[in-house]
Amino acid sequence: MAYSDKVVDHYNNPRNVGSLDKDSENVGTGVVGAPECGDVMKLQIEVEGDTIVDAKFKTFGCGSAIASSSLATEWIKGKKVDEALEITNTEIVEELSLPPVKIHCSVLAEDAIKSAIADYKQKSSDGDEA
Amino acid sequence: MASCPHCGAELETPLGCGACLSPLEVETSVDPFALFGLTPSFSIDGEELRTRHLKYSRWIHPDYFAADPELRALAEINTGLLNGALESLEEPLRRADHLLKVRGGPSESEVKDMPQAFLMEVLEWSEVLDEARAAEAGTPPREAAFKLKPSLDEERTARIQTITGLLEPLPESGSEALTTARRELNAVRYLDRALRELESLRLAEAEAR
Repeated sequence: MAYSDKVVDHYNNPRNVGSLDKDSENVGTGVVGAPECGDVMKLQIEVEGDTIVDAKFKTFGCGSAIASSSLATEWIKGKKVDEALEITNTEIVEELSLPPVKIHCSVLAEDAIKSAIADYKQKSSDGDEA
Repeated sequence: MASCPHCGAELETPLGCGACLSPLEVETSVDPFALFGLTPSFSIDGEELRTRHLKYSRWIHPDYFAADPELRALAEINTGLLNGALESLEEPLRRADHLLKVRGGPSESEVKDMPQAFLMEVLEWSEVLDEARAAEAGTPPREAAFKLKPSLDEERTARIQTITGLLEPLPESGSEALTTARRELNAVRYLDRALRELESLRLAEAEAR
C-alpha cells in the first residue's frame, strides 16, 4: 500500500516526539490503543491558562498511526483546549489522505487528544477541590 | 441427531455419512462445533477434535469420489468446511473469538476502553522492545527486553484463565461477560505481539552468536 507524501513526511520527521512530565498539574496524558492492529499511542498536552502550549506524543504502530498523532500534536499546539476538542478524525484523514483501511489510525489520534484533555480537566478540577 | 438421507444411519457430522460414506449437502453457515458434532463450549478436548477431524476427513475425502464429478465437488466443499472449522476451534484464542461472535458479543475493535494502566504497560514494553530492536546483539537493551518474557508469559496465562472463567459456562447473548472476555482477549493480543517480537529478537540474537 502506498502512503501519501504527507504520511511519509510525518513518519520520517515526526513532530513533537517525546514525553512531558505526567505528574505535572498542567499536563494531561492520554493513552489509547487499537486492539485490532496492536497500535498504542500516548499523547500529552501542557496547558497554560486555557491554551495548549506544548504537545508530545509517542506512538508504537504503523506509519499512518505515527503520522496521525504527529499531525495531531502539530494542530493542537497553540490552540485553546476547547478548540482542540473540536478536531475530528475526518480532518486528519483528509489532511493525510488516509485510505479507508487506515481510518482507525485517525480515530485513535482523535481519541488520544480527547483522552489527554479529559485527563487534564480531571486534574485541574481535582486541584480546585483540594 | 439427524440421519443419513441415503442409508438412514445416524449422522455424527452433517458433512457426510460414516456408514455409507457419502458426503452430504450442508449449509455453509453451520457452526463449526456442529460440523464436529460437538456442543459449543470454550473447553474442548483437543485430542478428540483432531481424532474427529481425521475420521471425518476420511469419510469425505474427494479422492474417493473421483468417478462422480458431482460428489467429488461436494466432497471438496465439505472438506474445506471441515478444515475451516478445525481452524476456528483448535486454537483457544480463535475458539474464544468464535464463541464471542456467535453469542453476539462485541468485536475486537468495539472494545477500545482498555484500562489506562494496561495501555501504559503496553507502552512501556513497546519502548523496551523498540530500543532492543535498534541495539546490537548481546547489549544491555537486548538483555532488558529478554527480561520481560517471564512476566509477559505469566500475565498471558492469567488472562487466558480469566477468559476460561468468563466463557465457562457460555454466557447468555448480550451479557456483560462477553464484553469483559473480549477486553481480556484484546489484552492477550497485545501480549502476543510483544511475545512474537521477543521471539524474533531471540532468533536474531542466536544467529549473531
